[in-house]
Amino acid sequence: MQDAVLMSPVAFAHALRKPVSGEVNGMETALSFAAADVEATRNETLSICDVSNLNRFGVKGPQSAAWLQAAGVTLPEGTNSWTPQDNGSLVMRLGNSEFLVEDQPENSLCQTLNDTAVETAGVHKVIRNDAAFIVSGKLTSALFSEVCEIDLEGGALEDNRLVMTVIAGVSATMLKQSLNNQPVYRIWCDGTFGPYLWKTLLGIIEEQGGGPVGFNFYYEIN
Amino acid sequence: MTSRIAKKRGEWINRDKPLTFEYEGQQVQGYEGDTISSALWANGIRVLGRSFKYHRARGLLSFANHDVNALMTDGEDTNIRADVWPVSNGMQLAAVNTEGGVLKDKNKYIDHLSPFLPVGFYYKTFYKPKRLFPFWEDKIRKAAGLGKVNFNYPRIIKPKRYAHCDVLIIGAGAAGLSAAINAAAEGFNVILVDENRQAGGSLSYDHAGEQAAADTLNTLLEAVEAEKNIRLITDAYAGGYYGDHLVPIVEKSGITKVRAQTVIVAAGVFEQPPVFRYNDLPGVMLGSATQRLVHRYAVKPFDKGVVVTANDHGYRTALDLASVGTEVVAVIDMRADGASQELTQKVKDKGIAVHKGSCIYEAVPTKGKLGVKEVVVCPYNETTAEADTSRSVRLVCDGVAMSAGWAPAGALLYQAGTKMRYDNDLEQFVPGELPEGVFAAGKVNGVFDLKARLQDGRRAAGEAMNYLGKAVSVDTVKPVSMARPSHPYPIVNHPKGKNFVDFDEDIQVKDFINAAKEGFDNIELMKRFTTVGMGPSQGKHSNMNAIRILARIRQLPVEKIGTTTARPFFHPTPIGHLGGRGFHPHRYTAMHQWHVDNGGEMMDAGIWLRPAFYAPQGSGLTASEAVQQETLAVRNAVGMIDGSTLGKIEVFGPDAAAFLERFYTGKFVDQKVGGSRIAMLLDEAGVMVDDGVAVRMADEQFYVSTNSSNAATVYREMQRNVQLWGMQVTLVNLTGAMAAMTVAGPESRSVVATLTDIDVSAEAMPDGAFRSGQVAGVDARVMRVSFVADLAFEIHVPYKAGLHVWKSLIEAGQSAGIRPFGTDAQRLLRLEMGHHLVSHDTDGLTNPFEAHSDSLVKMDKPFFIGKRSLQILAKKPLGKKLTTFVLEPGFNGELPQECNLVIDAGNNITGRVTSISFSRHLNRHIGFAFVPPEQSSAGSGFQIRTDSGAMVAATACEAPFFHLLESKGE
Repeated sequence: MQDAVLMSPVAFAHALRKPVSGEVNGMETALSFAAADVEATRNETLSICDVSNLNRFGVKGPQSAAWLQAAGVTLPEGTNSWTPQDNGSLVMRLGNSEFLVEDQPENSLCQTLNDTAVETAGVHKVIRNDAAFIVSGKLTSALFSEVCEIDLEGGALEDNRLVMTVIAGVSATMLKQSLNNQPVYRIWCDGTFGPYLWKTLLGIIEEQGGGPVGFNFYYEIN
Repeated sequence: MTSRIAKKRGEWINRDKPLTFEYEGQQVQGYEGDTISSALWANGIRVLGRSFKYHRARGLLSFANHDVNALMTDGEDTNIRADVWPVSNGMQLAAVNTEGGVLKDKNKYIDHLSPFLPVGFYYKTFYKPKRLFPFWEDKIRKAAGLGKVNFNYPRIIKPKRYAHCDVLIIGAGAAGLSAAINAAAEGFNVILVDENRQAGGSLSYDHAGEQAAADTLNTLLEAVEAEKNIRLITDAYAGGYYGDHLVPIVEKSGITKVRAQTVIVAAGVFEQPPVFRYNDLPGVMLGSATQRLVHRYAVKPFDKGVVVTANDHGYRTALDLASVGTEVVAVIDMRADGASQELTQKVKDKGIAVHKGSCIYEAVPTKGKLGVKEVVVCPYNETTAEADTSRSVRLVCDGVAMSAGWAPAGALLYQAGTKMRYDNDLEQFVPGELPEGVFAAGKVNGVFDLKARLQDGRRAAGEAMNYLGKAVSVDTVKPVSMARPSHPYPIVNHPKGKNFVDFDEDIQVKDFINAAKEGFDNIELMKRFTTVGMGPSQGKHSNMNAIRILARIRQLPVEKIGTTTARPFFHPTPIGHLGGRGFHPHRYTAMHQWHVDNGGEMMDAGIWLRPAFYAPQGSGLTASEAVQQETLAVRNAVGMIDGSTLGKIEVFGPDAAAFLERFYTGKFVDQKVGGSRIAMLLDEAGVMVDDGVAVRMADEQFYVSTNSSNAATVYREMQRNVQLWGMQVTLVNLTGAMAAMTVAGPESRSVVATLTDIDVSAEAMPDGAFRSGQVAGVDARVMRVSFVADLAFEIHVPYKAGLHVWKSLIEAGQSAGIRPFGTDAQRLLRLEMGHHLVSHDTDGLTNPFEAHSDSLVKMDKPFFIGKRSLQILAKKPLGKKLTTFVLEPGFNGELPQECNLVIDAGNNITGRVTSISFSRHLNRHIGFAFVPPEQSSAGSGFQIRTDSGAMVAATACEAPFFHLLESKGE
């Protein structure tokens, strides 16, 4: 493939802000939107980061759980929950028989799984196109109270639970994790809604005094 | 002249921050914390507005957010409620609904015409003669409404938020505060909401000249402030009750949708006026309004007044008025027995005369009816509602305080499904049977004594906590012996009328009598005929009296009359609040920015944004020219369209083929891997709802496309039927995961061939074939689909690589003259091909037999969705048929439009046009139309009526239309 064959679904929504861009996992990515101290200030208040470039693997089917376990993947016990792997990859159980795996930049579980031919009946790979965001800051409650009906302060995301909800009118999957010792919210939605959701969330975030941060804010790889 | 009095304990104004504003051109002083009305009243300004219908001067009435005759405009905003809106420095205000100013309103003459404008007059007039109706319509439209809408009003986003709590308490009066403190003390998360700027309810103004209520309030507020589990929201109202305890809280800044585990309604009561002639003059107001003026804003309501009452509250009002130096001439008690000896003596001790069994027969206005100068007091017969005018006395005064009773602020209780009952001891509707998780406390629950209200709040909190699973003991509230809070019929008949029941709509007692005489004697009918309760205050001061009047007219008990329905929102709510930020999700294809950068005219296609056509900057192309050029590019060379919006669903599993056979009308079990078939979906009624293409990628794997707008619906329907039929099928919706593009035209093969490892030759990849491979280095699914052209390749790739593949194809096609084409050209191209569009050329009743799709229906299958209906339909004659047609060569008349009708010789409607367009390629106008079956065969002629009524001849024609070229020898 050629360089930067892959584009984040949110790429064109970034363009107006002229981020410093680079390639991560073959995808053109906004690495930073402002100087580090500016992004740090934003992050303290409220920030959003596009991490659509992280590698993902989707699988569905009645035998998918067994197939993943056979591949050495540790699975969350219940539906609508997630568990981290030893290498940092996230494994999300979206239903009884549907899973989404997401790598951290430095690991390659998804690549391995994607490259593995499925010979087992009842296991079907799912092509993913997620727009994925990290939202964090002290005003996250104010943001989500406007775009999401779920009571995020009421324990809906505790104990590695994830929720499938509607954010600003878009179906999304959401969880809360600690990243770089900071509590963050992770959001995934259909990539075709990505630019809309990015612009909508960012509009509110900026009203609250926050702003966008680039991929390097969380993952120093470039 | 100022009516501002010395500083009051607990007053809501900040005397350290004086303000100046303008009202009707007059400079007015006020303080921070003043409402417009309180500041005006403090400055001796008594005329705050004009009534809606008769343009009568009006002042304060409730001073509780329901003074709809005191609405202001500041030039930008309108219908500002002066009784609650805070003043600010530099405001420039004027009353709405006046012409020439509030004092000299040119329309005040309408008051003199009132005998000619009885209730419902507009239902019976103006419609004859018909030719004059536009004249009257213009007049009525100008007279209707209050403030003028400012069409340049700036869009100020009012966010809508969600909040959650264990206990939502509506009303922060004594009962609400008590409930909140008790629930929070047990660890429950409480949201406490109050309409007023400060919590406290009547504790903040109903003092009866003493300090006890204020002391109680201080204690309660301190407890609330110390309790971290209570979130107190003031200056906000609960707009309505929706299922599962969802209550929108409306603040000036926006709406918060509170999802509560349980709700306690402690919303209190609305004071109701007695009804007597000229009870609307400026200076005549409710007793509680005078108390609010005194205690919250330190304003003396009048210098020398009387209190007319039908309960004990009037006595409390008199004591409050006397405490600030108002000369209270008399308490006029409509009850024959009056108040208790103790209360009466308290009032008398202040030098106030008490007239039991009396009423105000009428208030006498000052010049211009801008105020009150005296009242006529007569003995009152409670049974007949008549005054004995033979024994009248006149009392000089400049104001009247009125107290006749209360109506529960029970809108949310009603909306929640509470069964209300009429309590004859209280003369009030109270909750009879509450829905699960909803509780009531305080005055709305019929509990008026202060101690009992505190206890009732505690009781409601206890019941709420028990409901939430925490076992706490619940006190029983013992009834307190006290005088009846509301009078059963506080109405004084007057032969000259103007005894107003509804101040919003200027409705008098006689209007109800007349409505009943005309047969509108049911409360819902009467409401609509008289418009009682339909003004901006929504009957908060009028509905109860209206019910009492109707009950008396019909000689029925009040509970038999019932109440009108109180729908959300409880209080008029700005559209901007309801709209909120406005989330309107759009979907974007991977190539979106490329389209924009290359002149794509983007349009909404359902939830997607798609280019209708391309007119790059500087090209000078009109839309029509662009479409024709794009079409010709496909016919003569090659074009490409972004088809990412197509629905794309993978169907896996051992039952995949069998499932599709049940789901669609065609056969799939015998379909070969690598081939495609049309997949037409019907509903149970046999109506065509979607069509797409089903590709067999493997024995147990299909890849199915749907129409762009139907992807989610078809996927959901598939999921439902997989469950219903218990089949071993796994579904994956790839609509958003795959980008798709169609390269079409005679040169398409050569363009695609340069970028793919797939053999796309005619032999290796015939029409309908499917192949997997790589295109521009990306894993791709490629199909031969002839929707827009005989030779076309539909290429599907992962979304994130979509732009790369698109750009690669554009680059590869440069030498062949490739052009991107939009949805407008696509519609013309498919029309030339003779392909109808489901939901565009068909409607919600069209079956396959009517749309020449019989060949796609395999009736020999044991089952498919809609088969049973088709079996019935097949036995009936067709009523219409979709046919392709052409207009005459060289047609240059008025072009028929989609939905223009097909008309027969007898001027009957026999069909309609569903698609029509000019094809430059064919040099003919072509289209689809529904026509009678006998006119659907090629060569049959029919007439289409255009918008202007012109008739255009059309001829049914075989499709595809390309034979028209052959007939011309092209």
